[in-house]
Amino acid sequence: MPAKSNAAAKSSDREIVITRVFDAPREMVWKAFTEREQMAKWWGMKGMTTRVLELDPRPGGTFLYVIRMPDGREMCGKWVYREIVAPELLVVVHFSTDNTGEPIPHPYDPNLPPEMLTTTRFIENGKRTTMELRSVPINETAAQRAAFNKLADAMEEGFNNSLDLLDDYLATI
Amino acid sequence: MVQQQTTSQISADRLSATFAALSDPTRRAILGRLASGESSVTELAAPFEMSLPAISKHLKVLQRAGLIERGREAQWRPCRLAAAPLKDASDWLEHYRRFWEESLDRLEEYLRELQKKEKKNARKK
Repeated sequence: MPAKSNAAAKSSDREIVITRVFDAPREMVWKAFTEREQMAKWWGMKGMTTRVLELDPRPGGTFLYVIRMPDGREMCGKWVYREIVAPELLVVVHFSTDNTGEPIPHPYDPNLPPEMLTTTRFIENGKRTTMELRSVPINETAAQRAAFNKLADAMEEGFNNSLDLLDDYLATI
Repeated sequence: MVQQQTTSQISADRLSATFAALSDPTRRAILGRLASGESSVTELAAPFEMSLPAISKHLKVLQRAGLIERGREAQWRPCRLAAAPLKDASDWLEHYRRFWEESLDRLEEYLRELQKKEKKNARKK
């Protein structure tokens, strides 16, 4: 049951790791990640449409976007580029904003960490490209970190042997 | 950072209550115990060397946070896990992951189309 240990591991190491292999050359994948028209074509979940307000891929530059949800509501977010090594490395800080690009608290809960540091590597893999993405919360206030750690502790230590049982239970609801 | 707004309003309040309830190791242990099935207060109190009123206090906090439910039918009012709020709290990073995963699915599809077009163009030349 692969889903089982995932929840706990992710909560405790506070990191999202995604690896993908794209059946496309690295240069093409890199452009899809760094060109305005192309970002708008894929950034966002299914059923959402994305408008790019700003895309300036250099350190300190920003990618500012508006996402329109299927029910018509819109929300904005921003990447600030930290490090760029074309066509292999992209480091960005990602957060929610209002429509002028000003940061807003985490839309899910103000107690949650507001910013994610996302590091994406693009590795040549014959005619394919392996993408490795790591995302971790940063710039939390002490209170936000405490809230997160409480949860992580609960998931990690508190349940001990019961954790698996609890995971099974959660999987059924 | 994009979440489903429909759930976010309810979840924001609930999450705070969840975090508060989870801050105590006894309460976490109680939840762990309840994961294996409903239980009476007396049964829950047994492993903790705590008085029944002390355990009842913890149960009230858990109940207020919506993490457990108490039966009304029987006099012993069995406690059972109501884990939806817990799931919300453990899911927030998962939401962010899902956002990326779905975007990357779309990217994959987009790249596939792009490749097709390029091949077509190459043949024309």
